[in-house]
Amino acid sequence: MSGEKVRCHPTVIVENSLKTFSSVVVFLILLVAAIDTSAILSILVLSLVALLLFNYRQWKRTTIQFNEIDVVVERDTLFQMKKTLPYAKMASVNVNRDIPNRLFGTSKLLININSGTSAMVPEAVLTFEQDVAERLRFEMSQRLYDHAISLDEEETIESLATFTPLDVIIHGLFSVSTYQTILGAAFLAYSAFELYISTVAGVQAGGGAMASLLMFVGIQIMPSISLILRYYNYKVYRRGDTVYLQHGLIRTYRTSFSVSRINAVRIKSTLPARLLGRSCIEAEVVGLVSEGGKSSRPVLCLLKDDTTQHRILRELVPEFVYERDPNKQPEGAKRVLLIRAAVASLVVAAVMLVPSVYVYREVAALTRVIGTPGVVLQYVLPLVTALAVLAIIYAAHVSYRVTEFDAGEDLFTFVNGAVDRETVVMNYDKVQMVWITQGPIARFFGVSRGSVYMLSSTGSSSISSGYFPGNLLNSVNKIVMDRIISGKYDYRKNSI
Amino acid sequence: MSFSSPAIGQSGADEGVAGGDGYRRLNPKCMISMYIGYAISYAVLLAAYLLLRTYSQEFLGSSYDLVQYAALAVLAIALVYIVAAPPVYYARYRYQITADKVDVRYGILVIRHILVPIERVHQVEVSRGPIDTMLGLGDVTITTAGGDATINYLEIEEAEKVADQLNNLIGRMLQERVSTTPTSHPGPAGE
Repeated sequence: MSGEKVRCHPTVIVENSLKTFSSVVVFLILLVAAIDTSAILSILVLSLVALLLFNYRQWKRTTIQFNEIDVVVERDTLFQMKKTLPYAKMASVNVNRDIPNRLFGTSKLLININSGTSAMVPEAVLTFEQDVAERLRFEMSQRLYDHAISLDEEETIESLATFTPLDVIIHGLFSVSTYQTILGAAFLAYSAFELYISTVAGVQAGGGAMASLLMFVGIQIMPSISLILRYYNYKVYRRGDTVYLQHGLIRTYRTSFSVSRINAVRIKSTLPARLLGRSCIEAEVVGLVSEGGKSSRPVLCLLKDDTTQHRILRELVPEFVYERDPNKQPEGAKRVLLIRAAVASLVVAAVMLVPSVYVYREVAALTRVIGTPGVVLQYVLPLVTALAVLAIIYAAHVSYRVTEFDAGEDLFTFVNGAVDRETVVMNYDKVQMVWITQGPIARFFGVSRGSVYMLSSTGSSSISSGYFPGNLLNSVNKIVMDRIISGKYDYRKNSI
Repeated sequence: MSFSSPAIGQSGADEGVAGGDGYRRLNPKCMISMYIGYAISYAVLLAAYLLLRTYSQEFLGSSYDLVQYAALAVLAIALVYIVAAPPVYYARYRYQITADKVDVRYGILVIRHILVPIERVHQVEVSRGPIDTMLGLGDVTITTAGGDATINYLEIEEAEKVADQLNNLIGRMLQERVSTTPTSHPGPAGE
């Protein structure tokens, strides 16, 4: 930690060159039929020399500085780079060894920053001699891990509410996005249409019917079954500041996390769930990666009746409950939404034109389909198009009506979604960045959209608002800054 | 912790203050960099069009003429955009770095206003490609836990200066935290 500039171990030149060289070999194998085989050896030697020279230059011009408060990685090549990694923002420092490292007696020092853009890959991978890497890791760990972590996950969990197998099945069937359900239904309808045509026309159904049926299973049935298996025997409880989740039929999940790590809470209801008077709660929690490397957004409550959902929300995460004073979208937003709906309707009509004519002609050519079924089949696509246009315009109207924004003292909320509705309650102290965007039409009507960026369970994510006056959305910026400047924001209470 | 908010990064050779609100403008050389980048992209688009025109007649059949007209329309729209976009981008681009926030406003058709609190900055990176190197320009990418924000086309000295100043601000903030937390070092994020 002296601050002097050091380089990686020189074996990275060989390691990196061999890695790329293997790709060159594969490429040449693919091209072996097209090129002169006598030239292959020369190409291989030349490419290896070129790679060694290139990687030597990269190694020579890349330096690392381990300072008192940060690590600086600097590369002075054609594409210059300088990375500054403060210890306070690091999530972890690990040492890995693969086969080349074992051959050369080196180790890789992997530095992870708790950042959305580098959630899946380390921010810096530095190769050093094994003992040097271990020493650096030890010294850096002293700066990172200076407090104890105690988790008591083995305790039996008592659920805040009872989730029966029927609740789990309803969650599996109706928590899937409505758009996904509509798409699945469209494939099912096409499959049925093909089967009907083949029955009345007396011809064998083509592969299209089976493919559509498989698509329906893939889009609609499989996700539902997967959700049912995942959330079977669901339990949720809070003890102290820790939330515990337990669920799963074949593979069981035991999850626990501190409430302070929740960045946002989402109350979601798809259209079918809303018709049943149900909604579910999800949380944005960072760092809950499953064994398979998959990130998941924890569900705090399966689809339950609204009364139970409200109770669970108050008992489980009271930190995300406050008295709301929502703002509705202004009149300008309605015009923007209607113009967008008109454009979308035109696109849908244009896209459906050719298929409509095709189906009309095909059905007209089928002499066995007569009477009402024949007429319905001939006009089915124009009818569907007309319904889709009506649905788009209605959705724009509903979107205008339901979209809300409100900025409380510690929390703020976006409500969005004409079809699948989502109420997202966010903590100002978890906001990383705010973008306020204004397209040409929105500019004409004096409204903007806001996007709040925060670290989520799937890396970084942005949550967008509806159309509101720019100064209203800017209040999020203002409150975030005020909290930082006034000292109301306490970095020790926040996970990021 | 409390910061005053003077605008920093005031010494770019050609960058000027836009209005009296402390916002900075880009160097006009950014337009040259954009024109060169766009010209390369347009050349690729043109090559694709020529390939389409030469080899697709048989494949497209009766739709050939329609596709040709559509491709020409796309080329014409792209050309208009390429000619008009850099001056608009230059005219609209504003950035401001104070002791507590980075504020960037830019856009050609869609105008964006980005605000990044310094407190949330994880990493600052200065980068430049070959075209920018040729013109002495560079980009400063500011990474937070929730994503990136970039200040494009700064003069390289200015970019380095902005990055150093941001790093100093972050360093000062972290030092303050260490000094006000005597019992422990700042814990790792996510712990």
